[in-house]
Amino acid sequence: MKVFKLLGIMILISITWTNIAKSTELNIYSHRQPFLINPFLEEFTKKTGITTNVIYSTKGLAQRLRSEGKNSPADVVLTVDIGRLYIYQDMDLLSSINSEKLSENIPMHLRSADNTWFGLSKRSRIIVTSKDRVEVGAIKRVEDLADSRWKGKICTRPGSHVYSRALMSSMIAAHGLKKAEEWAEGLVSNLARRPQGNDRAQVKAIYEGQCDIAIINNYYFGKLKYSEIEEQRDWAKSLNLIFPNQGENDRGAHINISGGGVAKYSKNKESAILLLEFLTDKFAQTLYGEINFEYPVNPKVEPSEELKSWGKFKEDKLPILKIAELSRDAQKVIDRVGW
Amino acid sequence: MLPHLRDLDFWQITVMLLSILIFCPLIALILLSFGDSEGLWKHLFETVLTRYVSNTLLLMIGVSIFSLIFGITTAWILTTYRFWFSNLLEILMLLPMACPAYLVAYAYTDFFEYAGPVQGFLRDLMGWQTASDYVFPEIRSLGGAIFVLSAVLYPYIYLLAKTAFRQTPNSYYEVSQLYKKNLFWNISLPLARPAIVAGLALVCMEVVSDFGTVEYFALETLTLGIFNVWIGMNNINAAAQISTFTFIFILLLLLVEIRSRAGKRFNDTSSRQTNKNAKFINGIEAAFCIVACLVPVFLGFFIPVLILISNAITSLDYHNFNEVFKIFMNTLIISICGALCIIIVSTTMASTAYFSGKTYLRTIANFSASGYAFPGTMLAIGILVFVGVLDKALGILSTEGMNLFLSGTLFMLIFAYIVKFQAVGYGAVLSGLTRTSPNLVWASRTLGLSFQKTVSRVTIPLIKKSIIAGGVLAFVDIMKELPITLLLRPFDFETLATFTYQFAHDELMGQASIPALLIILVGLIPVLFLNKILKDSI
Repeated sequence: MKVFKLLGIMILISITWTNIAKSTELNIYSHRQPFLINPFLEEFTKKTGITTNVIYSTKGLAQRLRSEGKNSPADVVLTVDIGRLYIYQDMDLLSSINSEKLSENIPMHLRSADNTWFGLSKRSRIIVTSKDRVEVGAIKRVEDLADSRWKGKICTRPGSHVYSRALMSSMIAAHGLKKAEEWAEGLVSNLARRPQGNDRAQVKAIYEGQCDIAIINNYYFGKLKYSEIEEQRDWAKSLNLIFPNQGENDRGAHINISGGGVAKYSKNKESAILLLEFLTDKFAQTLYGEINFEYPVNPKVEPSEELKSWGKFKEDKLPILKIAELSRDAQKVIDRVGW
Repeated sequence: MLPHLRDLDFWQITVMLLSILIFCPLIALILLSFGDSEGLWKHLFETVLTRYVSNTLLLMIGVSIFSLIFGITTAWILTTYRFWFSNLLEILMLLPMACPAYLVAYAYTDFFEYAGPVQGFLRDLMGWQTASDYVFPEIRSLGGAIFVLSAVLYPYIYLLAKTAFRQTPNSYYEVSQLYKKNLFWNISLPLARPAIVAGLALVCMEVVSDFGTVEYFALETLTLGIFNVWIGMNNINAAAQISTFTFIFILLLLLVEIRSRAGKRFNDTSSRQTNKNAKFINGIEAAFCIVACLVPVFLGFFIPVLILISNAITSLDYHNFNEVFKIFMNTLIISICGALCIIIVSTTMASTAYFSGKTYLRTIANFSASGYAFPGTMLAIGILVFVGVLDKALGILSTEGMNLFLSGTLFMLIFAYIVKFQAVGYGAVLSGLTRTSPNLVWASRTLGLSFQKTVSRVTIPLIKKSIIAGGVLAFVDIMKELPITLLLRPFDFETLATFTYQFAHDELMGQASIPALLIILVGLIPVLFLNKILKDSI
């Protein structure tokens, strides 16, 4: 029958189209957009001859990996935010790998104790203020944002976004649940508008005068400063940049990581480890700064010139895993205060 | 009562198996929701659940009202009147279907927000300095979401309502005149009810499962809540529970409608003598009609497209057109394959279930069309779980040299599209079937044709338009589909939607605009084609 012929043909097409895992190729599940990771992968292929295939999705890749089980073609997982790395670890989807190079290149607090996931770059959650409307030095700590002095002046993205949630976790880690919730209440009562948009949108709102203060990831500032769109460069010019909590006895600015690991059932573990090692070496670590204004995790690599020009800062040395472990408490606080 | 017929048995079994296959991913999700939710419900009840539910309900009601108004008035105007440009307008009305709601949301936000050109212009004009000097409705809000979703979803209702209005038999029209009854309220609208409800059901399901728009507008609906619980609290069970409850809620709504329709028949035995006497109008009346039709098209198509074009112009040089072309072809092929499968499956299912006269078969078939009500990402998870189980079974069959599996193949992706968009094809075919008389089928059976031949020689030609309409709707839906494709695709397989998303996700509207415009462009082809077919054959 025609119908069955048609179905048969379609099955054939779909199977031939599918990239069945080949041993010389490395298959990557990525939570980072292709246009961000491609420059790294191209260089990796040039250097090692190993070609790469990528599936990018923001959500659900861990579930995909899990239900594929032993059949999974995936070799490497790349993601941003410790919360996501933690989910992979929690579901037991990553293999524990032994690499001296990785241990050497990545400080302890930025990789897992059981060698399943590894931080590959750092980003800091920073405060930006309007050059015209907020005096320099008026805000020094994240805690200051709850001060009623800033009523109606602050813009943020929704509390339920991973970045906000991670910041909330860091506040819980620093002050305990009760104090952190009080802070969150204060912050919410200071908001100029309902939380919305991404970090770029917060900067835009400062530029346009809708609010004076915002919390953003540091790389957004770089992206705007060097944007191809002239107007966005103006947004960046209107800002002062504050690394919070830098006082002598203070804990330092909250950071988060992008990271990765080797899939548990990877048929290609050696190449997979090779990729992770490549990503923590000098070349790639420098590239993180140049392409995406992220800080290197490798202590032997200096941040890019541009990043250095924003000033040195002290980072919160809280073991990064803590942020993920407190994520649920953080979300509950966020739900309660309506951030 | 029909005699027992073997050939129908075969099809009934096929339909049962197909329904079960399609329903399995949903069962996987429902099973997932029996998992431990670790006491999260108490927290949800105390904090956000009321907000999620009320926002979802308000959004659904709002979008229903506006898309009914847009859809039915324009369908009625264009079936009963002829005026300047009315032929052109009939085509234009469908254009918003080609626009994914989340892209329209992106475009409007740029346009209407504080920093956008509209408010900027108003500030310049009126001399306002800051946000506190004036009140302007916020686009990222419940109202904004209702506006955006109604503007792109009304064509579902328009399309089905217009087809139904067109097929109102002339005899009814004459009767209504004799009794001095209003043709619209007393004849056409009640007769078109199954079609309008089918459209409305699609709209409601689309609203409930929408993620892109509500995420962008930070509107806390149940769908957004599902993700907060899943990602934020690392508990997929509770997330599956919320989506199952939403799903049950939608099913209840549909059941209420089916109940209230029970016992009423909408068969039309005289479809050849339809109401062709559209009235010519001009002057003020015509102008009014033109404006009434143009408003929704401008809101759902021309304005957002113009915004996208102006964004695209600023970033023309950042594009690799070869790459975009390859992605364009991917999108076209996968959408055609998916739409064909959906047509085949839904025609088989609808006609067997309808003519078998067995209620349980219809119920099963109806159920299998309910994947539409699940948010795409959750459905994708259900599919992953189910296909994972299938693969385990296939693993037993596999040998050393040949490893059989479906995970990560295009086959799985197409299956996912069937699960998600079965409702689109099935609804269209079924509404076609309810309008044909079963007498014709019985006659054909009495004359000795097998069920299969009856369907292919009698039923399918009779409901050809409905089938094509269903296929086209499915094609456009697949092409715009984002969350399922994103998660289930094979390596290095981009569609226009996924390619757009990687930029749009980062609010890089310049780079996102060209692939976004291509999605709309590809969507236009079948939409225009659809209009032609509907016109030629009536």
